[in-house]
Order: sequence, then C-alpha cells, then structure tokens
Amino acid sequence: MKQISLLKLYLIFLKIGAILLGGGYVILPIITNELSKKEKLIPEEDLIDYFALSQSLPGVIAANISMFCGYKLRGKSGAIAAMLGVISVPILCIICLASTLSVLTENIYIKSIFWGVGIAVIALITLTIREMWQKSERDLFFYIILTISLVLLFYFRFTPVQTILTVSVIGVLIQSINKRGKLK
Amino acid sequence: MIYLLLAYEFFKTGLFSFGGGYATIPFLYNISQIYGWYTIDELTKMFAVASITPGPVGINTATYAGFKTAGILGALFATVSEIIPSLICVIIVSKLLKKFSDNFYVKAIIKTLKPISCGLLIFVAIGLIKPSVTDIKAMILLTVLLIMSYKSKLDPIFYFGFSALAGLVIACLKSFII
Repeated sequence: MKQISLLKLYLIFLKIGAILLGGGYVILPIITNELSKKEKLIPEEDLIDYFALSQSLPGVIAANISMFCGYKLRGKSGAIAAMLGVISVPILCIICLASTLSVLTENIYIKSIFWGVGIAVIALITLTIREMWQKSERDLFFYIILTISLVLLFYFRFTPVQTILTVSVIGVLIQSINKRGKLK
Repeated sequence: MIYLLLAYEFFKTGLFSFGGGYATIPFLYNISQIYGWYTIDELTKMFAVASITPGPVGINTATYAGFKTAGILGALFATVSEIIPSLICVIIVSKLLKKFSDNFYVKAIIKTLKPISCGLLIFVAIGLIKPSVTDIKAMILLTVLLIMSYKSKLDPIFYFGFSALAGLVIACLKSFII
C-alpha cells in the first residue's frame, strides 16, 4: 500500500465532503469511487467492512467511515485529517446559508432542486445496497441475518440500534454453534 | 459558558445517536425544547436544507444549532463535539481490528454486520420512497436514475447534478405555464 500525505488525505476527504449530498447513507459509492477506483488506496471489500461498522457505531456514518479510512492509511493523525476534511465544506456551507434558511425553503426553484436531489438520494442508496450485495459473501447465513433484520425493522418496528444489537448477538451465536458443529 | 453547554449537548448527541443523521432528530428536538437555541420549525427547515447542502445531515444540524446560538465559534464547538465520541470509538475499533483480525468473534461480528447493514439500507430507502416519490414525475425520475445506474458506472455526483437539473427544469416549465 502506498503512503499518502496527510494533506492529500485531507484534500481527498474535502472533495468527498463537498459532493456528499443527502447524508451518510450515500457515502459508500462516493468513497469507493474516490479511494478504490481513482486512487487505489483501499480495496472495495475493506470499505464495505468499514461502512457496515460505521453504521453500528455511534455518531454520523459519513464521519465514521472517513475516520476508519484515515486511520487505515495514516493512523490517528490520518483519522483526524480525514474527519476534518469531510466536515470542512459542510460547516462553511451551513455558516453561509444559516441566515437565509426561510428564503431557501420557500423559493419554488430551490424547492424543486431539493425535490430532485431527494430522488437522487434514493437512487444512490439503491446503488449502495447493490455494491454491498455484490461484494459480500452471500451464503445461507447472509440471507438468514438479512431476513431477521428486515422482519425486526418492518414488522416489529425495531429502531436501527435495537436491530443492530439484537441481530449481532443472534449472528454471533449462529456462527459459534455452526463452528462447534463443524469441529465435531 | 455557552460553548461548554453546546459542547456537552452535542457530545451527548454524538455518543448516543446510532445509525446516521436521522437518529439525531430526537436529541435535537430535545435540545430545542430545553434550551430554545432554535425552534422546532427551524429544525424542520434545517433538515430540508441539510439534505441538499453537502455533508452528513447530523453534522449540518450541529453546525446550524451552534452557529445560531454562539456564532462561528459555536458552530465549530458543536460540530467537533458531536464527532469526538465517534473518533474515539473508531480509533478503538480500528486498533482491535488490527490486533484481533483473526479472532473468531471479530470475524463473526463483521460477517453479521454486513447483512444487517443491507437490511438497514433497504429500510431507509423504503422509508424515503414514501414521502419523496408521491407523483408520476418523481417515479419517472427515479426509474431513469435507476436505469442509468444499472447500465453504466457513473461518478455518483452525476446523479445529484442530473436530478437537481431535472428539478429546476420542471420548476421553470411550471412557472412558464402558470
């Protein structure tokens, strides 16, 4: 793996932060495009692990995955550089827009742009699902866990945290039982 | 003093909100009721703006609340405080991953988190379809975007640009007709 300077790392994440519309759920395709396809710094499989972990840790997903990538490339200072990169443009934008909030949400042209971007976010989330789907090992275990998660979320109305906690325990149990069975 | 209070409230938000920006809503709602740093109406508008300005929604709202309350310094305090708990968690988890990458439980957890993550994404996508895709033009735009994403590997920013433009064109057409 090639060494990357902290400044370069900051700038890559500055770009990711600047084009990240619609929140953390759409960051996977963007980060894959920048870090795996263009720069060849981190393999796509690792990014998917980080994304899954980022969803299960407290805080903002986009910041979490950026810090995982930064840490992987340059340790603690890398994590901080990536984090600062990803939040720089958003902070500036909000500070500039804060006083025009009502104008922004009432103008029909801007409203219409909001509308379009809202649809793009759905398309990008489907893209994220597809990326995870293609890059994960889809054995029986994968489908069992997916089904349990969906049932808990949709039918039993579990919150994301409750789902992550409950299903993680179930998943680790299934795998331990499976492992013991194989050993015998 | 206000800075410490901001730092404290957003540190708490960062520490206890799992699952991305939308998980911060109940905390932000609570902060608004206790301190009145911003109104509920502003919060709602903020979420609309946060979804089109770059950056994670959770970060955007923290910046906004901090800025409204105590200016630029407040914005920085609130935003950074919200991330610090995650920074600590990420560093700890990364270290554990490095050290115990062959450990059975570490592998088992990561293997389990992937399908859960897929499930959560499906849940979020369906949750977003209901309020966003309400008419025929939204359906058409979504279908076009999905077809484009299946046919070719485009830079993700393209989808945002394309849909923003589509939105703008529709608004222009409407205002011309009326």
